[in-house]
Amino acid sequence: MSSMSSIFPLGDRRILWAWVLLCLGSLALLWSVTEPIKGPYEQIDSVVAKGVFYRQVVWMLISYIALFSASRVTLRFLENMAVPLFIISVLLLVYILATGPRIGGARRWLVLGPLHFQASELAKVAFILLMAQILERAKEGGRGFSVTLGTFLLMLVPLTLVLREPDLGTSLVFLALWVGMIFWFGVPGILLLGAGSAMLSAVFSFYSESVIHQALPWAVYLLVLVGALFLARMSILSKVVLLLVNLATGIGIPFFWEKLQRYQQERILTFFDPTRDAFGSGYQAIQSKVAIGSGGLFGSHYLQGTQKGLAFLPERHTDFIFSVAGEELGLVGVFILLGLYLVVILRGIHHGTHARRSFARFLAIGVVTYFSFHVGVNVAITTGLLPVTGLPLPLISYGGSNLLISSILVGLLLNVSSRTFDD
Amino acid sequence: MDLDRDLLLRNSIFKGVVIALFLLLAVNLFRMMVTRHDYYRDQALENRQVRFKVPAPRGRIMDRHGTLLADNMFIADITLGRSSLSKAGPDSTLERLMLWFGLPRQETLARLAQQLDRTHNRRRLVLVPNAEPAQIAAVEERGRQLPGVRVESRSRRRYIYGLLFAHMIGHVGEVTEADLDTTRNPFGYRQGDIIGKQGVEAAFESHLRGEGGVKLEEVNASGRIVGRQAVWLNQVSPGQDVKLAISLSLQAAMAEIIGDQIACGVAIATNTGEVLAAYSNPSFDPDLMTVRFSSQDWDKLVNDPAKPFFNRVVQATYPPASIYKPITSLAGLMAGVVDTNTFLEPCNGGWTLGDRYFKCWKHSGHGPIDHAGAMIQSCDTFYYQLALMLDIDQLAVAARAFGLGRTCSSIFPEESAGNVPDSQWYNDRFGEGKWTRGVMLNNAIGQGELLVTPLQMALFTARIATGGRVPDPVFVISPGTEPVIPEPLPFATEHMDWIRHTLRDVVAVGTGKAGALEGIPVAGKTGTAQNPHGEDHAWFVCYAPADEPEVAFAIIVENAGHGGSVAAPLASRWLEHYFREGGMVDRRTGGNSTSLSLQGDQVLEARP
Repeated sequence: MSSMSSIFPLGDRRILWAWVLLCLGSLALLWSVTEPIKGPYEQIDSVVAKGVFYRQVVWMLISYIALFSASRVTLRFLENMAVPLFIISVLLLVYILATGPRIGGARRWLVLGPLHFQASELAKVAFILLMAQILERAKEGGRGFSVTLGTFLLMLVPLTLVLREPDLGTSLVFLALWVGMIFWFGVPGILLLGAGSAMLSAVFSFYSESVIHQALPWAVYLLVLVGALFLARMSILSKVVLLLVNLATGIGIPFFWEKLQRYQQERILTFFDPTRDAFGSGYQAIQSKVAIGSGGLFGSHYLQGTQKGLAFLPERHTDFIFSVAGEELGLVGVFILLGLYLVVILRGIHHGTHARRSFARFLAIGVVTYFSFHVGVNVAITTGLLPVTGLPLPLISYGGSNLLISSILVGLLLNVSSRTFDD
Repeated sequence: MDLDRDLLLRNSIFKGVVIALFLLLAVNLFRMMVTRHDYYRDQALENRQVRFKVPAPRGRIMDRHGTLLADNMFIADITLGRSSLSKAGPDSTLERLMLWFGLPRQETLARLAQQLDRTHNRRRLVLVPNAEPAQIAAVEERGRQLPGVRVESRSRRRYIYGLLFAHMIGHVGEVTEADLDTTRNPFGYRQGDIIGKQGVEAAFESHLRGEGGVKLEEVNASGRIVGRQAVWLNQVSPGQDVKLAISLSLQAAMAEIIGDQIACGVAIATNTGEVLAAYSNPSFDPDLMTVRFSSQDWDKLVNDPAKPFFNRVVQATYPPASIYKPITSLAGLMAGVVDTNTFLEPCNGGWTLGDRYFKCWKHSGHGPIDHAGAMIQSCDTFYYQLALMLDIDQLAVAARAFGLGRTCSSIFPEESAGNVPDSQWYNDRFGEGKWTRGVMLNNAIGQGELLVTPLQMALFTARIATGGRVPDPVFVISPGTEPVIPEPLPFATEHMDWIRHTLRDVVAVGTGKAGALEGIPVAGKTGTAQNPHGEDHAWFVCYAPADEPEVAFAIIVENAGHGGSVAAPLASRWLEHYFREGGMVDRRTGGNSTSLSLQGDQVLEARP
């Protein structure tokens, strides 16, 4: 394999091809998004500038170099990098919160001359590396519970900092990464059960408290839970703990709700009822669904999308680029797109299972979780299954930081895969 | 390498979760893009297609020679979508526009609020009506900063000669609630539509209006038309032009001779019935009626005692006074109670009937006078005596034969029929046996309950001139309508001939001398209508040339005194203008006019 050529990265070719095709897809969609609509009066209103396309091309070249490097470095180097990288990224997040420029109401960008870089993206890589390192060592030491708790607290650091930017979507990425990697580490069943039921309790409590203003749904959920626990075969202590956790989250949610930013509350409320704000935060959700739905089986053909072309779709080059894909490429197009992601994810799970070193396995599963969460949530948002929160579609959405970090993560996956091929 | 069972289990769970997630996304995408595709496609279409009503250009109105009298001009309004109002703040579209155009803030906001109240929800608000080119350019250039702002052109009616045709052409205006009443709304007018309100504009509404179109235009997210793929749901069919019978220059001459007197005049082509001029003074500017003007201006017009909106040509009724005498004469001749050269008792300045004394206008009296002399000198005493030999119904029949007592134009709904009283009328009015033959004396000299419009008098004159074959007045020659040919006159041709001869003498040597014209014989009759409210109204009717009539003319000047001294000279001036211009254009069109005059009166041919 490695004898092929020195300009290709090592490792799983299927993953590499998926990356290449996704990048080409991104360029095709960005070209379309930046094309003004044709007509007697050349439409110039709110067209996304062509520069977006060319900047992405440049970022793609940089990203390829990063991917190439990430696929070739030694695992030891990565292990050594984990702690310093994490510390640097946390410091950067703090620095940005303290001094960063406010762009579009949020402090997210590290400004280095002409370059804008989102430090939260760097923190994702750093967190994956650090988690992998910690979990590998814990595996050897066999300290299950304290590692779970410790990494959870560790995860809260970037999560809180990013949440303060504010960037709800990205902050949740850390939670997802933690859940995915700690699952791979192996957690007690009671913990999974506890976390899962707590989340359900939170959703029901929120729905009761903030959407319909009556306690019934949450009360019904609690009743069902008590019944289930009564029938379940487990220790009394576990049952009590589970019940308490559910009660705590259910009661805690309204307080957490108060802590959310006004716009976040709006978005979540609008998710439950998009018509509540059809021209505000519900507008994106509605227009995105219209764009995707109008695409049909084969789409309205490349460059021909009217939702995109006539600017009905906001954020169509960034977080909502999937809607453009749906409108112009149709069901066939988006299935191909999702298929490419699935290649990366399923191959990633494979390597995460078969890699020789556990550091590599955790690394792979971190990358897999990253892509699963990003793609899953982004598509769910654009199709109206989740409330609107800013989260890019990795490798496709316009934006240098995310493209670079996503490519590095693919590079790391290639790196891991190159070490499993001999078995 | 050995994999522990836990890892393989977790592998399966992880894969399961991921595949379940992707399946969920896939199923949802399938549902949206295949199952509900039609719904979303319609939504996308609705997003970008906006229906625009495109009004049809209204037909133009021209004079008989094709000179434009009313047309449309395009003006541009700068309009706002309603959503622009909801966004407040110094950076809002509205504030920016007000700043750029230097619009007074309070006033502009008040005006917009007023529009919000008045118009229904879908209509856009007019920020700058009839915008300047510079303002339009500003909006076109900076459109990106002005979401929801459009330049909309609309056409506005323009009345080129203003007051000159106000009563004839009428004017347009926005539809009223009454127009929108479904039972009387054949063309499906909507609020804000323009409709003909008066005159020809109203009478020929269906001809002038055309049919508006509807098109679908593609707009972008900020509501701007992107200018491709306009789909016409209904093509515009423009309104058709209307050609009046009136001639611009003859109308202008009519206005000129009237000046600022309260008066009106009508001229009719005797061979076709076409109305060549019809002007009522005071008039008003119809352009004012097409725009919303201040209630002050409106009150001024409405409360003007001279009633500028009053179309005297067809709406005003006056006693015909002495110009009625030919009818009394013809009634007498038809009844055989007098002959053309009969002498009755001499005129001593009046006539006594019972205990009432009826005065002749000439207090010193005319002395011995025959029938022709009585007409020429307009001797009332002769006619009082003639009246006593007739009954009221004989007189009414003669009057109605000339078209009096009924409306004779089909285009003015407000036209008055006047009044030709008969015994039935008096019975109804006063009760049977409660009225005396005394009313006959008043009727015989065109006073009393007798009422006519100036248009009726012009028609009467034209029928005298041609022996009765002139159709009812024709105001519009295109679109053409079938002329209303009246019943033949019941009078003997030698009597008609005698009347014409006598009327010629009225102008040559009698009371109408001031109506004479050099080189062209004129036949006419003066009248002085008694006005209980003030000075008498001065009448004069005539036709010319007397031996080969082509134009009949009627004029009344309110509160001006004697017809012979006030009205007749005006007629002369108008006729002078008419003949200087070459007279009737229709003389050149040949066939039609000749045949009409041949059929019309054999007496004419018999004349040398």
